[in-house]
Amino acid sequence: MNSTNKSAINALQNQGVTETKQADGSTIFSIRPNEQAYAKLADKDIKNENRYGQKIDLIELTEGNLPVNRSMHINENPEVGTNPNRNKQHGFHFTADNCIACHACESACSEKNDLPAHISFRSVGYVEGGTYPAYKRMNISMACNHCDDPVCLKGCPTKAYTKHVEYGAVLQDSETCFGCGYCTWVCPYNAPQLDPVKGQVSKCNMCVDRLEVGLKPACVSACLGNALDFGVIENTPERREQTQTTIPGFPTPDITHPNIRFQQIDDMPDEVSRTDSMPIKYRKDEDGAFQTIVDKKQDLETNWNLGRLSSRENPLVLFTLGTQAVIGAFILLFLGDAFQLPMITAITESVMYLPMLGVLIAIEAAGLVMSTIHLGKPMRFYRGFNNLRHSPLSREALGVAMFFAGVAGHAFFSLFDHGVFNWWGATAITDIVPWVPTTLTAALAQGFGAFGVVAGIAGIYFMNRIYRIKARPFWNHWQVATSFAGTVMSLGAVLTGVVIIPSLGIMGESWTALATVLSLFIIAGLLIEGIGLFFHAKYLNAETSEGAASHYIQKTTFGKTYALRNCLLAANILAVSGLTLSGVDGIVAYVCLGLIAASIVFCSLIGRALFYVLVIPTTMPGAFFWKNKAFEQHARDIGLANRPQTGVAPDAH
Amino acid sequence: MIFGRKNRKPITIADKKVTEWKYTTCGYCSTGCTIEVGINEKGDAVSCRGAGGADVNRGKLCIKGIFEYEMFDAAGRGDKPLMRDKNYDDYQTASWDQALDKTASEIKRIQTTYGRDSFAVISTGQILTEEFYTLGKLARGCIGSNNYDGNTTLCMASAVSGYKRSFGSDGPPGCYDDFEHTHCLIAWGSNLPEQHPIIYWRLKEAMEKRKFPLIVVDPRVTMLAQFADIHLPITPGTDVVLQNSLMHVIFDEGLEDQDYINAHTNGVEEVKALVKEYDPVTAAKICGIDEDTIRTVARIYAKAPAAMGIWTMGINQSTHGSDGVVGINNLALITGNIGKPGGTSLSITGQCNAMGTREWSGCSGLPGYRTLENPQHRKEVADFWGIDESFFPEKRGLFQTDIFSAIETGEIKGLWLIATNPMTSMPNTTRIRKILQKLEFLVVQDAYQDVETTQYAHVFLPAALWAEKEGCFTNTERRVNLTNKVKEPRGDSKADFWIFNQMAKRFPNGAKIHFPETVAEAFDEMKELSKGNGRMLDISGMSHEKIKENFGLQWPHREGEHDSKGEARLYTDGSFQYADKKAKLIPLPFIDNNEVPCEQFPFWFNTGRVIEHFHTRTRTGKIGNQNKFSPTPYMEMNPDAAAELNIKHQSYVRIVSRRGDAVVMVQLTQRVPNNMVFVPMHYHECSNRVSLGLLDPHSRQPAFKQCAIRIEHVDQDKAAQLNLQRRTY
Repeated sequence: MNSTNKSAINALQNQGVTETKQADGSTIFSIRPNEQAYAKLADKDIKNENRYGQKIDLIELTEGNLPVNRSMHINENPEVGTNPNRNKQHGFHFTADNCIACHACESACSEKNDLPAHISFRSVGYVEGGTYPAYKRMNISMACNHCDDPVCLKGCPTKAYTKHVEYGAVLQDSETCFGCGYCTWVCPYNAPQLDPVKGQVSKCNMCVDRLEVGLKPACVSACLGNALDFGVIENTPERREQTQTTIPGFPTPDITHPNIRFQQIDDMPDEVSRTDSMPIKYRKDEDGAFQTIVDKKQDLETNWNLGRLSSRENPLVLFTLGTQAVIGAFILLFLGDAFQLPMITAITESVMYLPMLGVLIAIEAAGLVMSTIHLGKPMRFYRGFNNLRHSPLSREALGVAMFFAGVAGHAFFSLFDHGVFNWWGATAITDIVPWVPTTLTAALAQGFGAFGVVAGIAGIYFMNRIYRIKARPFWNHWQVATSFAGTVMSLGAVLTGVVIIPSLGIMGESWTALATVLSLFIIAGLLIEGIGLFFHAKYLNAETSEGAASHYIQKTTFGKTYALRNCLLAANILAVSGLTLSGVDGIVAYVCLGLIAASIVFCSLIGRALFYVLVIPTTMPGAFFWKNKAFEQHARDIGLANRPQTGVAPDAH
Repeated sequence: MIFGRKNRKPITIADKKVTEWKYTTCGYCSTGCTIEVGINEKGDAVSCRGAGGADVNRGKLCIKGIFEYEMFDAAGRGDKPLMRDKNYDDYQTASWDQALDKTASEIKRIQTTYGRDSFAVISTGQILTEEFYTLGKLARGCIGSNNYDGNTTLCMASAVSGYKRSFGSDGPPGCYDDFEHTHCLIAWGSNLPEQHPIIYWRLKEAMEKRKFPLIVVDPRVTMLAQFADIHLPITPGTDVVLQNSLMHVIFDEGLEDQDYINAHTNGVEEVKALVKEYDPVTAAKICGIDEDTIRTVARIYAKAPAAMGIWTMGINQSTHGSDGVVGINNLALITGNIGKPGGTSLSITGQCNAMGTREWSGCSGLPGYRTLENPQHRKEVADFWGIDESFFPEKRGLFQTDIFSAIETGEIKGLWLIATNPMTSMPNTTRIRKILQKLEFLVVQDAYQDVETTQYAHVFLPAALWAEKEGCFTNTERRVNLTNKVKEPRGDSKADFWIFNQMAKRFPNGAKIHFPETVAEAFDEMKELSKGNGRMLDISGMSHEKIKENFGLQWPHREGEHDSKGEARLYTDGSFQYADKKAKLIPLPFIDNNEVPCEQFPFWFNTGRVIEHFHTRTRTGKIGNQNKFSPTPYMEMNPDAAAELNIKHQSYVRIVSRRGDAVVMVQLTQRVPNNMVFVPMHYHECSNRVSLGLLDPHSRQPAFKQCAIRIEHVDQDKAAQLNLQRRTY
């Protein structure tokens, strides 16, 4: 902050000016006539640091790298707001005792931002407890908390998010967004809204246009319970006494240091539950703080629910499994060749090698198409690499893309010294371009291959990082790494076997040695995955929060499916081991291997689908209809969602 | 920009490009909020905002007001008159002349064949006051049927009746400013945060500035009940017992304001004699509130320097509705809490212009709180309109609810429904269907063509909506406020004012009575009629311009009072509208005639409203940003009771009463007791398929909130399909 401005603000504060200067005539936002005091920002004293020790003055926080009187260019308007505190971190204050769930805040927001019924930047849900008539319902209105550590911003691969030095607002540009929805995964508060109709995310914009002219956001001005307020963070609003960082139902503030403070003084029952379908409730601990626990809403009956394994994330199931298999197969072949394992070189030096690479490239290409289809705006796919600095998604995308390039390059230069079946000989290409030295092409093939291996490993590593999300406790465990690494080995080997063994068989060559090596890889991969799953289950059994809730769903709603997957995993390990040890040969072994391969793929599909459908994020409690997943599903199932006024977007597929 | 961003991302915030804000008053409830509707360059209504300068809402709006602009283009609007011979034929579009001619000729045919009163008119609380006045002229002065009433019988009739019985006249004596002065507030069956959120906010503001005891009487733990200092979870239908017992304690402990009673009331001895029987020990066993709490509440209320009672449907919609209102008035009168700041008995009205219809439509008598029973009143109005005074009946005809019974018995053969939807709003839907089917002629005048009642109509007249026209509404605190025409009516729909004027031309008296062309002229006529010595409902000092300038004016507002904004309170001098200027204290013996839970039907069936919907959802059911909060009917049920019946949260069940059944989705919550369920009344083919609706003997208002049901399991898939089928919005 330059000194003139600083002193100007100090002068204002010294004069005891309680209201920001009126900005009548501003072209940023037109203030309505006779605007009331409740709608005006009224921060008097401002603290230096917030409770986490972070500077509240955002110019100071960024060490003066950015100018003070900078225009926000809201709707390309170059005017600079008159708000004297525009460079301070602002935040909401919510008096949970007062909220009446009248929806005025959400409505004012939706009206101002012209939102369709199925989207809202702010939502009101509730928790309830007690026994009639000693019943207590606590409503919670929640939007974006414009966090100190905006995980959405860091996660977004397209760099659609910006945390501004003006108000500390975390703003998102829908026109940059390609609709991957990753921000909606990482946000603990369900703030970013993925619009399945438009295929892009949008979110609370803090009403920075109103802030620029000294007005509180629309939701705050609309509040009818005197529950919602807004100002410079850590300030206690008039007639309020608390600035707590949490209330029952609110996820831990440790993840992102959200800029919201609470007052909640009225006595609460020892346990409060949610009316939505999330199997979560909250119980008071010895310190009086509420802890998240599992709410066994549907008893302990175990079910299959195979149909429900299919979800919006289906393309990701196929993409991750496919990519892992392809990377596994390529590493197996490339390194096997590098280490001159005879049963591998028998492949890499054969006329089957190029077709094998072709299969890998085709599967990976299909996988990439899958991951692109998963985007709300597939044509914007190239923006996926925008945020290499922060986003694991960008890094994974880059890793997989580079792997793809590596394999492609490797395949291309392998053309020069490989034949294909009996279609053309090993020298067919060099005969056409004799001036290209085969030593060079061989070296390039090796170079691209090595690059592909490194990129593939990096890709798998970041693919694993993608899911290590604090707001999704079910995923946030090292089991993701063992699952992905295990799949790289098991499916990589299966894929190799499925392509090569029949070919060898057809060509009348022996495939037993290869089968043994691949079996070892499969066993190792499945064991690694199994160990991860074992410890994951152990961790979940000890957990109490959303992770435990996911596990509860895993053991009930999908109880039979889960058991099947576990049994299959064990059975597959035993079957592969048994077959390898038995020394069975010939057509029997061939058929057995085929069956086992199918079983492994099937098991992987179930496992990966479970991985996606089971995750329960740390979201805010919903209401009975609105923000209730089970009702949304019901509305889609019975066709109610086809009426737009239901507020549930119908299934796109 | 933090986190190393160098390039500026565009900040795009929706801009609706409003070029003009137009002044209106909200067309939903009777709080009377001033709304400015934002119009863009194309003339489309694209936004709503509260008027910052309006005293009522001070810039605030509730969810319904915020999205009110979406109402204009909501689905189901009628834009052409429709006609058919039989109600099983398909509708054909018609010209206005054809539709009006057919309606007029059918009215005349029925009246000629079966007598003048065999054609009934049921109006509403939704249209503008000038329109009500014009309809009154048409119905009383031209058509001349005595069976003319408003749907206010379903909402505020008990308040009207109770006010008349206690004070000699209708007219809520208090105002919202009373919150700023009161020292004790008892809310009787009124859930302000949900039904009148802006009034709640005014109350909350007052309580945050200066805390005073809030006592809430409600069988359900509403948000207001939860915020109450003392919540009285009363047994349904026993409010009168509680009131009598409170009075018992007040008299017993000498807490009454004897001077006020002596100076301004009659009948104290009769009341004292009756309430003697209602000692808290006895009362507790009937009303379910323990004796200590009854005493505590009586003391807090009676000792407060100023105390007020407010109520809504919890009192009105009961077989003791009128008595309940009288009980609240009795409590106020014996403690001297009428006509003083913070001391009042204030009905919280339902529809945006329920007050307007009570004041000016003449549906329960003659315009300006005049009665048919009073020869002087008949003469005044007949002379003013220029017709023979003998054209008026000498006694009020049937109430809305009795009109339906008269159709049932064949006394009434034709009906004109104006902006009301009895197919959803009247108790016992199956009975109402049979009744409507019996009509020889039914004309429905509504802004919505898909209002369920059109199933049985012969003519549909498409009406303009809310701010597609101009005129006034009167709110709960007697504040007259203006609605401007914001945009042209949809399609060929017409303002109700125009429709009434055109209809009048088709009756002989229409030529004798002046039907002004403009709304402002009609307002001038009302002003003339409101003048008179001692006339309480006096609006002669108002004009549309002055109303707008002041964001509404309260009556009485007499000619010549230039700087006044009208009187905030009635009866400030202790002078009431009875001939002797005294208020009446009326004893209220309790007769338990409710359908109470029994072995066969073990649950109380309670109904009410939710914030996002209004009445029968013809408007709110189509606005996604409101409807999404409750797009389908549901029932609050106690989880313990549900566990016994093995009923699951968010499953469908069938509720069955002695009248019929309905399918609802179960929401388990401890908000309701073990032996009660709560179902919002907004949904077609839902709560009113089971409700009983016994009529209050004074107000003829149905008791929607008390009957008995049982709960049955139902096939979930079939129930879901039925749920979908039973409503198109």
